[in-house]
Amino acid sequence: MKQESYKKVERMTVAMRSIHWANAAFMVVAVITGLYIGEPYYQTLIAEPAVQKYVMAWNRWWHFIAAIIFDVTSIVIAYLYFFSRFEKPYKKLIPNAHNLNEFGAVFLNLITLNRKKSFDSSHSDSFNTVYFTIFHLLLFFMLFTGLQLYVHGLESGISSIGAWWPWILHVGTDWTIPVTGGSLMDVRIAHHITMWLIIVWVAFHIYYQIWRTIFWEEGDLAIVVGGSKFVKDKK
Amino acid sequence: MGKDTMESVKKLFTTQSAKVDTNRGGEYYTDLYETCRKRLDELKALPVVNNKLDFQETIMDEGLDRRDFLKWASATTAMLMLPASFTPLVAEAAQVMNRIPVVWIELSDCAGNSEALLRSDGPKIDKIVLDIISLEFHETLQAAAGHQAEKQLEEAIELFKGKYLLFVEGAVPLGMDGQYGTIGAKAETFKDHLLRLANGAAAVIAVGSCATYGGIPAAAPNPTQSVGVMDVVSGKPIINIPACPANPSNMVGVVLHYVLTGKIPELDSLLRPKFAFGYRIHDNCERRAHFDAGEYVEEWGDNGAKNNFCLYKMGCKGPMTFNNCSIVRYNEAVNWPIGVGRGCIGCSEPDFWDKYAYERPMANANIKAPTGGVEKTVDEFGLALLTAAGIGIGIHAVASAVAGKKNSEKDA
Repeated sequence: MKQESYKKVERMTVAMRSIHWANAAFMVVAVITGLYIGEPYYQTLIAEPAVQKYVMAWNRWWHFIAAIIFDVTSIVIAYLYFFSRFEKPYKKLIPNAHNLNEFGAVFLNLITLNRKKSFDSSHSDSFNTVYFTIFHLLLFFMLFTGLQLYVHGLESGISSIGAWWPWILHVGTDWTIPVTGGSLMDVRIAHHITMWLIIVWVAFHIYYQIWRTIFWEEGDLAIVVGGSKFVKDKK
Repeated sequence: MGKDTMESVKKLFTTQSAKVDTNRGGEYYTDLYETCRKRLDELKALPVVNNKLDFQETIMDEGLDRRDFLKWASATTAMLMLPASFTPLVAEAAQVMNRIPVVWIELSDCAGNSEALLRSDGPKIDKIVLDIISLEFHETLQAAAGHQAEKQLEEAIELFKGKYLLFVEGAVPLGMDGQYGTIGAKAETFKDHLLRLANGAAAVIAVGSCATYGGIPAAAPNPTQSVGVMDVVSGKPIINIPACPANPSNMVGVVLHYVLTGKIPELDSLLRPKFAFGYRIHDNCERRAHFDAGEYVEEWGDNGAKNNFCLYKMGCKGPMTFNNCSIVRYNEAVNWPIGVGRGCIGCSEPDFWDKYAYERPMANANIKAPTGGVEKTVDEFGLALLTAAGIGIGIHAVASAVAGKKNSEKDA
């Protein structure tokens, strides 16, 4: 075997990793509680008085807390896409020749099962960035449809933090009604189906990171834990 | 969405939430009081149109006294979200209702809204108020038939041009040039009939879900291509009073508001009066505590049902439906769907038959709708997609493992 030396590259800052794991944890919470809200799949003890149970209310509480954390991290991530001092992902989204070539090369690497690896794997490549962007768009869609469903309960026009909140929710999310099909139920259906799309997204995401770790042999899985990976030093 | 799509979209982005401002300040109400006072005096000076029933006498004949009437007047004032000082005006408005001519037409419908209006357990004030409105034309209720009825209609719309309120019950079929529904000896299509009558109306009031959004005639696969009034009529004030049937209290509310102020009430983006459709059923439901507690009826007649548990798992759509029936109820406030243990089917929302009325929770619906079954399809499609992704991943993983081995064999 030939001698290989490795070089350490920083890929995710502490802030990025914190957001990643917060998102991952709260996504599990949101799916578990969201499915209960869609159809309560377990029963409560009938002998308990209603006042002590509050099961649906707790499910909704966790679902909304998870959602509002997503909403805020989404805003932070959207900001970092353009203004991060570490790495600005939007630069990888511009369809210029370099990005298109890189996207093609990474995709080719994936479908040829690592037969051909003709790109620089030390930085977050444009294929990966596009894939992450799809996730953030799905999450944004969940954000808007979810807040639309949420504001139905604030029909008094007031909230604990003031009347501006339901107002801004209406201004910001009422478009989801005609876009999803015209009725409040369409918003709910869209919210529900997007959950499945996100789960599919997560399935491929986890698979791809593990696959890369195994086949690229650069410790890619370590990025999200320690923040860095190793690339083969070409000398 | 209405005919003017751009307008509807604009409205969506400028809506101030469904809330009705219940306190607009003393000055506003003083002005409004003056306007109403003036309007009522003008109406009183007008001759009675056709209905010669005297309100006071009718009430007495039905065995109700003035006290009952005033109680009704204050409740109705509250429903219209006006200050208590407007109660005498509302009472007066009820008595001059016969100055406002009403033409009521039926298109693709079951006459259910007319039935709702007629079949109260005993004549109460709401019904009497509707008795004394000057109903110039109503196919189901009038004695006239055939050419006589047509003549009556022509005369009414000519005589009260620009003044009458047009109540429409039923959807408008547009398929086959509207030939699915025709009326009269000349076989005028429902669409032409509606457009002709709407042309001379002061305002058009769509009563019931069919007239509002197409309702059941417009349910999938909608062979007649039925739509609601707002998709056909433009350039006239349109008020939607959906629900199946529309609540007579809300009809009276709209007419009273018009009589009193000469204007249509504040509407939401679906053109429904906010005083009636600004509430979510779920938030005023007597079973709400059971929803929050996670106490659900699991099947008809179980212990939960006997204990009035929440009907969400039996498909209740209260959480997605805006209407005031959990407050005003039906049949003179006797009861309402959730009160009888049957759950809400969202009958006042667009596309309710396809998207709400399947009597299962949203994640377990099993009916065929335009997309080929709504929520169940969502889950099945999602699971299928996930399975496909899983299989793809599996193939790729196995192929990688095998190919990878070959590579390392080569290396070695």
